[in-house]
Amino acid sequence: MNPVILYNNDTSANVPVEAPVERQFYPYADNGGTSLGIAGADFCLLASDTRKSSGYSIHSRYSPKAFKLTEKAVLATNGFAADGLALTKSLCQKLEWYKHAHDKEMSTPALAQMLSNTLYYKRFFPYYTFNLLGGIDDQGRGIVYSFDPVGSMGTELCRAGGSSAALIQPFLDNQVGLKNQQGAQQTPLSLESAIRITKDAFTSATERDIYTGDYLEIFIIRQEGVTVERFDLKKD
Amino acid sequence: MSILEYNGGAIVAMVGKNCVAIGSDKRFGVQLMTVSTEFPKIFPATDKTFIGLPGLATDIRTLSERFRFKINMYKLSEEREIEPRTLAHLVSSTLYERRFGPYFVEPIIAGLDKDNQPFICGMDLIGCINFAKDFVVAGTTTDSLFGVCESLWEPDLEPEDLFETVSQSLLNAVDRDSLAGWGAVIHVVTPERVITRTLKTRMD
Repeated sequence: MNPVILYNNDTSANVPVEAPVERQFYPYADNGGTSLGIAGADFCLLASDTRKSSGYSIHSRYSPKAFKLTEKAVLATNGFAADGLALTKSLCQKLEWYKHAHDKEMSTPALAQMLSNTLYYKRFFPYYTFNLLGGIDDQGRGIVYSFDPVGSMGTELCRAGGSSAALIQPFLDNQVGLKNQQGAQQTPLSLESAIRITKDAFTSATERDIYTGDYLEIFIIRQEGVTVERFDLKKD
Repeated sequence: MSILEYNGGAIVAMVGKNCVAIGSDKRFGVQLMTVSTEFPKIFPATDKTFIGLPGLATDIRTLSERFRFKINMYKLSEEREIEPRTLAHLVSSTLYERRFGPYFVEPIIAGLDKDNQPFICGMDLIGCINFAKDFVVAGTTTDSLFGVCESLWEPDLEPEDLFETVSQSLLNAVDRDSLAGWGAVIHVVTPERVITRTLKTRMD
């Protein structure tokens, strides 16, 4: 007999191997994009770019992530686009039910609280979205709410969210909050100034952030209703 | 956390009309704990050139002394002041010598050359140079600084306007960074003189 076969100690060649095969699925993605909200005395401005990316690829140049929810509130969702869409769909349905149950549209502060509750309801499998809710309250004043993915809520004078939040927020602190400006007094911000600051912020962010660009949608919420303006951003 | 973010700090340099400005915060911390508020990170190289060294504090001190030595040696052998562009390459090659065990600093150089033309540049920790025509930023506050600088900077600013632009950019950026701030210092280099100002800032 062949001695090689007699004394073969190579077990891996003869014994059938059953090793565990690891598979994985990651349910989240980051689709980039930036949003911005400014609260004025009698208006609210909410702006978002429309680029949808994944890694180095641009999936869509026009994929809006800001949605009009009521006649007095607009929601901008940043982060994971699929969750943003699912959340918006769920909120719209809840708003519809509210309208049928109470025969009126939900107020913006109530909507903010409902959004917070909706996010916290999924505390242990969160919607991966960083939301900004802009609108006008019961007294007709502009108001911006910002949220983290699990529903922590804050009211703000101005707030940037999304991939360029770090680039835009200090600029807003300076130009809207008038931070670090000695002797500057806070006069009510005009809509024209707010739009100018928003355009400046987004053109600057587009220069340095690959996830921001293509188009800019500016929602202006007034007592009369919501209007949208669209502007070009760089597409590279 | 990256070693470059261990001590915190922010530096920005900008080009103006026949002038440059460079500014830094004054915080020295260990992660989230602030240890000192008198730790500027900008060092004079010549009468018209400054080196900013954000990054690991121990390497900032080592390198500021090594560069002082090298600049003095250059002056002795060449019998003239070093040009900012030459200094940039000196700094770059000093860093690249330690390619596989780097100093954890991202230097910024700002100055006027022999014809009083403005020069700024930034580089990474192994000496890859970025010759920018407008502004350079470095440190833990880069994102915020890029955002404000991109919005506030414009070409051909006069020294006083350039000072204001650098100051506003730096102050508003570091106010959103917990690792930087706690005072700031700005140098504006003009052909005639260097204007150095220490700024009062939020101390939180």
